[in-house]
Amino acid sequence: MERIVINKPEITKKYKKQKASSSLQRKEGLQGYLFIAPWIIGFLFFMAGPLLFSLYGSFTNFNITSKMDFIGLDNFKKMFTNDPIIWLSLKNTLYYVVISVPLTTAGAVVLAVLLNQGIKGMRVFRTIFYLPAVLSGVGVYLLWMQLLSPSSGLVNTLLGFVGIDGPAWLTDPSWTKNALIFMKMWSVGGGMLLYLASLQGVSQSLYEAAEIDGATSFRKFFHITLPMITPVIFFDLVTSTIGAFQIFQEAYVMSESGDGGPANSLVFFNLHMWNKAFEVFDMGYAMAMSWVLFIIILVLTVFNLKIAPRWVHYEGEDRK
Amino acid sequence: MKTVRKTLVSLLILAISFSLILAGCSSKESGGSKSSGTKDGEKVVIDFWTFWGSETRRPIIEKIIDDFNKSQDKIEVKHTYLPWGDVWTKNLASIAAGNPADLIINDINAVGHRAQNNQNTNLAKYIEQDPEVKDRFYPELYNASLYEGDPYALPFNTDTRLMFWNKDMFEEAGLDPNTPPKTWAELEEMGKKLDVKKGDKYERIGYLPNQGIGADVWMINADGKGYWDFDAKKAIINDESNVEALTWMKNYYDYYGDKTINSFKAEFGEQTADPFVAGKLAITTDNANFFTKIRDYGDGMNFGVAPLPAMEEGNGNSSWGGGFVAEIPKGAKHPDEAWEFLKYLTDVQAQEYWAVKNFDIVANKEAAEKAAGSAEFSEEGKMVYSEATENMKQTLLTPTPIEAPDYINLIQPEIESVLLGKKSPKEGLDAAQKAVEELVKSNKK
Repeated sequence: MERIVINKPEITKKYKKQKASSSLQRKEGLQGYLFIAPWIIGFLFFMAGPLLFSLYGSFTNFNITSKMDFIGLDNFKKMFTNDPIIWLSLKNTLYYVVISVPLTTAGAVVLAVLLNQGIKGMRVFRTIFYLPAVLSGVGVYLLWMQLLSPSSGLVNTLLGFVGIDGPAWLTDPSWTKNALIFMKMWSVGGGMLLYLASLQGVSQSLYEAAEIDGATSFRKFFHITLPMITPVIFFDLVTSTIGAFQIFQEAYVMSESGDGGPANSLVFFNLHMWNKAFEVFDMGYAMAMSWVLFIIILVLTVFNLKIAPRWVHYEGEDRK
Repeated sequence: MKTVRKTLVSLLILAISFSLILAGCSSKESGGSKSSGTKDGEKVVIDFWTFWGSETRRPIIEKIIDDFNKSQDKIEVKHTYLPWGDVWTKNLASIAAGNPADLIINDINAVGHRAQNNQNTNLAKYIEQDPEVKDRFYPELYNASLYEGDPYALPFNTDTRLMFWNKDMFEEAGLDPNTPPKTWAELEEMGKKLDVKKGDKYERIGYLPNQGIGADVWMINADGKGYWDFDAKKAIINDESNVEALTWMKNYYDYYGDKTINSFKAEFGEQTADPFVAGKLAITTDNANFFTKIRDYGDGMNFGVAPLPAMEEGNGNSSWGGGFVAEIPKGAKHPDEAWEFLKYLTDVQAQEYWAVKNFDIVANKEAAEKAAGSAEFSEEGKMVYSEATENMKQTLLTPTPIEAPDYINLIQPEIESVLLGKKSPKEGLDAAQKAVEELVKSNKK
């Protein structure tokens, strides 16, 4: 009897607690939705509509003012059979992605490791290396156009000091894309900041244990540091791949009259799309192009996500 | 209770912020329609869009508008400045939304395109009322504003390419400072005499055919036809004279070397100094209003101006020009009033004022000729301006062919690969011809 008397309130208490927590959950859920409401409403009003419209538009010959006829898959057919520039633009874009993404990622990791040393005045260096990531846009491109000027530019002048006859960066079609990649390397500070944060999160005990076992700093880097920051590398890789596919501004600003010259060497997918949309107002075609790019990026991102478990280590995760 | 109140408060804040955002949008909306729709007392207010917002141009166009507003009491023109990068895209969006400006300054080369795509208003009925209006313009400009025989815009201003040469440098090189080159061969020969080389670097170059103009202008200069035959309505990119013009240009690249030419080009971008003004180039070919650069930064340079040299003697000195028109966007609320202002804008008084204040070649023939003798110009100014008006007789326009709106994008890269030595002139132009023919074919479908 006594037992029951003691137990009874406990049960009701537990029951009550459960009930309370579920109403709390509901309330928290509601508040959560409330807080993301601005984004959801913005998305529905300003993005979902245009998104769906562009999906429909990609099957039409829409040109803003006079035409909007459903033409089925004609835009996509034209893309694959009758537009030589689109293949060139895809090739240019792929070249840029394949070279620039690994380089900037590696650059950011190396820079972060260097700036993670406990040397006096490190904060100053971190700030200096991060600054280019803050400065962005057209001003920076114009600055680089001067730096990359073939005979009076600072870059070739410096190369001249060590006896290298620098290339005509932005006027020689075989160097233009490399010039952009080179320029991108300058602003790896953004990625560097992410890596720096994750480096500081790597537990010191791992290093201590490795040191006791006699590991060299080289081995420590490859067997502790690198695996521990793979989640961030993965994140950086995915987002910068997406970003690199969308390269536009650089080519638009840094090529003569924005046409992706010389000799089409800077015609990227998005620049070609922009030309189709805003130079000749073939909006339907441009919309179709944007969906093709979306699918390319989607496939690549899914691929990235699929192979991620092979090399990305999450702390405390069971590996089989 | 407390939590409920919290939720309510946050909801309220959200609601308020949204209504504020919406209110912001809607008030903007009503402001926009007011400007181009309602009547201001008795006067009809019309909205005039230009991209002339600079310190020099804005006061000039606003003075013209002000003069018009004072000259009558029925129409009030309101000037809306939109940046160069936005104005035409915004125009399109506003036409699609059914709320466009009443008058806009737009590109002369694409009048036909806009007409075809319902973006501007057919002015035929107004021209019928005022038939003398069409005779005020240089015929080449008026013709560029026609689509299927009807005018869809009136030309406002234009330009023409001329040759400038530095007389002091001519003298120094032992050439007659008053006899500029008359043919391509002379231009090449004199140019080379004017070169100054230090070691293997050029301190000064006589002439480079890619400064100020491109291969396309030399092709027009060669036979009066560029990439497109407007009579036969077909691409003639690889015709003989075009190949010859490009070969001539390529010879310069071979003679001076890519590197010299590319560094010259890169060093003297549009934004920075001009090589002719900086004394690094003895002869240049450029727009007539290039004179203002010589005047403002040339430090009293002793120069001459002449038409572009002919390919061969007696071959004609055809030049190339472009310009802007004023047109009434499709769906404008007050086309009749806009036409009244359009007439004023292209009449002698307004055009002469624009010409003199801007040193810009205007579309109105009489105004341009008057401006050439304007007391406001220096002797040199008069010389250049009258040379330019004279040159208008042989200045050709290249309206974008309806059949191939983005043909330049297919041709330019080929020309660049030729100049870089990746293809022969014939190969490059053949490839461009083929690509444009394909484009025309696919656009016909």
